[in-house]
Amino acid sequence: MYPTGRTSQDAPEKEVKKKRIKAKVGLAERPQVVEIEVPEQELPVWDLDSKLAVVGKRVPRIEGAEKVTGQAKYALDYVSKDLPGLLYGKTLRSPYPHARVEKIDASKARELPGVKAVLLFDKGEGFDPGKILDVMTEDAVSQPKGRVVIFEGEEVAAVAAESESIAEEAIRQIEVKYRRLPHVVDHEEAVKPGAPIVHRGMKDNLRRVDPQVRGDIDQGFKQAEVTIERTLRVPVLLHNSPECHVAVAKWEGPKLTVWASTQGVNGFRDELSKTFRIPPSDVRVITDHMGGGFGSKFGMQAYGAIAAALAKKAGAPVKLGYDRHEENLAAGNRPNATMWIKLGAKKDGTLTALHCRSFGTAGVGWDATVTPMMGIVYKCPNLRLEDTDVCTHAGQGMPFRAPGFPQGSFAIESAMDELAAELKMDPLALRRKNFVDQPLQALDKIYDLGAEKIGWSRRAEMGPETSSAVKRGIGMGTAVWPNYCGPPAHCRVTINSDGSAEAAMAVQDIGTGTRTLMAMVTAEELGLPVEAVKVTMGDTGLELIAPDSGGSVTALSITPAVRAAAAAAKAELFKRVAPALKAKPEDLVFENGKIFAPANPRKSLTWQQATARLGATPVSGRGERLPNVEPYAGIPLWGAQFAEVEVDTETGLVRVLRIVAVHEAGRALNPAMFESQVNGGVMMGVGYALLERRTMDQMEGRVVNPNLEDYKILSSFELPEIETVIVEPITPMNNIGGKGLGEPPTVPTAAAVANAVAQALGVRIYELPLSPDRVLETLEARKEA
Amino acid sequence: MSKTKKPKDTPSVSRRNFLKAASMAGGAISAAGLIVAPRDRAKAAPRPIPTPLGPGPVEVTLDINGQKHVLRVEPNVTLLEALREHLGMTGTKRICDHGECSACTVLIDGRATCSCMTLALDVQGKKITTIEGLAQGKTLDPLQKAFIDHDAFQCGFCTPGMILSLKATLNKHPHATPEQIKAAVAGNYCRCGALPNILKAGNAVAKG
Repeated sequence: MYPTGRTSQDAPEKEVKKKRIKAKVGLAERPQVVEIEVPEQELPVWDLDSKLAVVGKRVPRIEGAEKVTGQAKYALDYVSKDLPGLLYGKTLRSPYPHARVEKIDASKARELPGVKAVLLFDKGEGFDPGKILDVMTEDAVSQPKGRVVIFEGEEVAAVAAESESIAEEAIRQIEVKYRRLPHVVDHEEAVKPGAPIVHRGMKDNLRRVDPQVRGDIDQGFKQAEVTIERTLRVPVLLHNSPECHVAVAKWEGPKLTVWASTQGVNGFRDELSKTFRIPPSDVRVITDHMGGGFGSKFGMQAYGAIAAALAKKAGAPVKLGYDRHEENLAAGNRPNATMWIKLGAKKDGTLTALHCRSFGTAGVGWDATVTPMMGIVYKCPNLRLEDTDVCTHAGQGMPFRAPGFPQGSFAIESAMDELAAELKMDPLALRRKNFVDQPLQALDKIYDLGAEKIGWSRRAEMGPETSSAVKRGIGMGTAVWPNYCGPPAHCRVTINSDGSAEAAMAVQDIGTGTRTLMAMVTAEELGLPVEAVKVTMGDTGLELIAPDSGGSVTALSITPAVRAAAAAAKAELFKRVAPALKAKPEDLVFENGKIFAPANPRKSLTWQQATARLGATPVSGRGERLPNVEPYAGIPLWGAQFAEVEVDTETGLVRVLRIVAVHEAGRALNPAMFESQVNGGVMMGVGYALLERRTMDQMEGRVVNPNLEDYKILSSFELPEIETVIVEPITPMNNIGGKGLGEPPTVPTAAAVANAVAQALGVRIYELPLSPDRVLETLEARKEA
Repeated sequence: MSKTKKPKDTPSVSRRNFLKAASMAGGAISAAGLIVAPRDRAKAAPRPIPTPLGPGPVEVTLDINGQKHVLRVEPNVTLLEALREHLGMTGTKRICDHGECSACTVLIDGRATCSCMTLALDVQGKKITTIEGLAQGKTLDPLQKAFIDHDAFQCGFCTPGMILSLKATLNKHPHATPEQIKAAVAGNYCRCGALPNILKAGNAVAKG
């Protein structure tokens, strides 16, 4: 379900020699010394006693100058100046959600001057990019019944031409005769008997996921003194990454190079290799900079497959990207959900049972699961969590920042607040009562800080009883995301004779600061300033495997390997200069600008003197990400967010005034980038709460708002004040002492906002977004009741 | 007019296609004739009917970052396409290509303008500033520096448009208020969540 970055190069586990080491970890104000078992070659953990000069500082991103001057090169930026003879690809897509392609004629397109390749995808049902070699044809296939398309935006044909406008014209010239078939795009309709079936061969549109069960749910509800039961809904969201999906493919004989806007060069490379039946070593995927993915850019997908197929056919490099409209039909989305939830608790607030049944749609794809979050966020002995995927005739879902968690959070946090009201208990006190206690976990402190910063006690003066038409409220929600970081990740650090260093790894920077983190960790381990470190990345040609960027895995999967590589390179340097210092390499240290053996400090070399001795043969070291240290890898990434809102009961407009976001990621590697990550998660979450939804025309089965004007995200005028509070429980899970951060900041935001709105109005809205019409309808309904 | 694309088999006119078609039919008509004319007509003598341009490339001279560029492009080529595809100046980004995101913002005679909604033909003789032209040699513009100092970007794709939108406002109001800074980027799309720091960077420069 989650991107793991596992690739064809994973080595089988081998027996490793272990050693036991100690580390002082946890929060600075309540340190704990733990003994851990690690592989023989593992470095000591950067723990509470480590004095770090670079890591943990607000180091500006090293690619800053490139990005603010327009020099940073993205896949979309490859033009004919870079690749002479570059052709432009374009995809013809089905305008209908469900139809049979009765006739397809590309003869006019083929004759258009400047058109260099035309491919029809006219075999089979649906379009599977992995099978492009089998389904593509030059001419229409005389299938007895014709191919079936199952969502608006499905790939039907593609062209490559000398310019984008010729390609667009060629697409218009392809004549397709469709016969429409019945469709269903609403998941609540798609579950009904007699609904049109999306995937042929299935008896209905449902796929039940194995339920997650703990304890005895019936017993749990019997023990409960209070129960509440609610149904909540969340909409489909569109990623709308700034840079649309785009790939530039170039063949040289049997070898394929692709510049791609991807979250995973390694995964992309492996899929290309399989699809085009060539060895992985003949494929190179490059991502220098990329304009956002948020989960929608894993793997080769249709754009990668079509670009490479067109390039092969045309015998020239081809750039194929989606435009914004295509992006919003076919590049992924966050599945929606209808969630029925039932909670049972004792009068003191102790949860005794949790039952959730959810169903949602990932369109023609799978995985609308939302309940895993509920299984880990609060302590509850008896639970039953059931998810069902419902297929509809719409573009397939893709992971979307914290897949499934913001949905689940909205359901359980809403239910927790209503349970608190039922119990006449403070909502935060209810959370504290059911707090998951784990070693080195700082959730108690996270709650304390959040409550203090938002002014939780001010809630008492808020709510519907105030005289003004504009009501205020404060609400909160807990952030949680499992730790998925770990091996494999391989890095090479080189020390050059001019004293500079280079860290290299086939990992991509998707905007999260990966490049800067690699430089910071290398600089820290070598004792150099960040400016002395160059980073080479985003290229499978480096053969230094790293995970795809998703699931908050990147930073702490790669940095332990970077550190190990830097340490290995430094050891190599010491080996080279030890004879000159008449010392053993292992006795040397680099401190205060000098390399020396502490036993003989008078004999020393400066870094520059030492590296100058390398001459034409620089030294390098390789480092590998070693396995996580248990049981600490099992501790999730925690946080909590508190929202203060204002609701105008006359217009229905909700304004989020302030979000206090308290988060932990173990060691915070760069507080400035930490805050930026949180800002991003919060903004997406507030958009989820108030504005964002994909709207479908039920009758036509088409997306009504596949653009940036009608699909509204947060802009500068709706931006709340965001206060990020960093809590730093150092973990001994890896040699850096950190965990990930990408997903948690967007998990509880919408729920916290919804809880604040419910407090302000004294009545709850059970469906996102909390748009003015819903606010007014809800207030109207209460009046009538 | 809805920008939702119509099915393949129904005739469709999108705003952008209309812009392009208008240009195809009568080049300069699109801007000089259709849009400005009603006001002009009241005070000026009737204009001569311009010669239709295209299809087929025409010569266009653009003054970009103080340098003249002569290129031959179809008359319907937007300034964004001319910059990126014809001149290889890819610092100007494309997010929506429909004037909804401001990522492609450039300065035209100092005014922040969406280059995807502007025909290259129509900005001849005007001073065009792109993100590539903001720094003086290796010295960054204070706004560029402020973006780095305040971590005002993540993926960086919206950054050039953000900087130029702010630049236009700061050129006009060197001590812009926080509200003016907010307004400067209100139409700029950012998905990573860099906006809070973008506002900080803009405000820092406005304070001087």
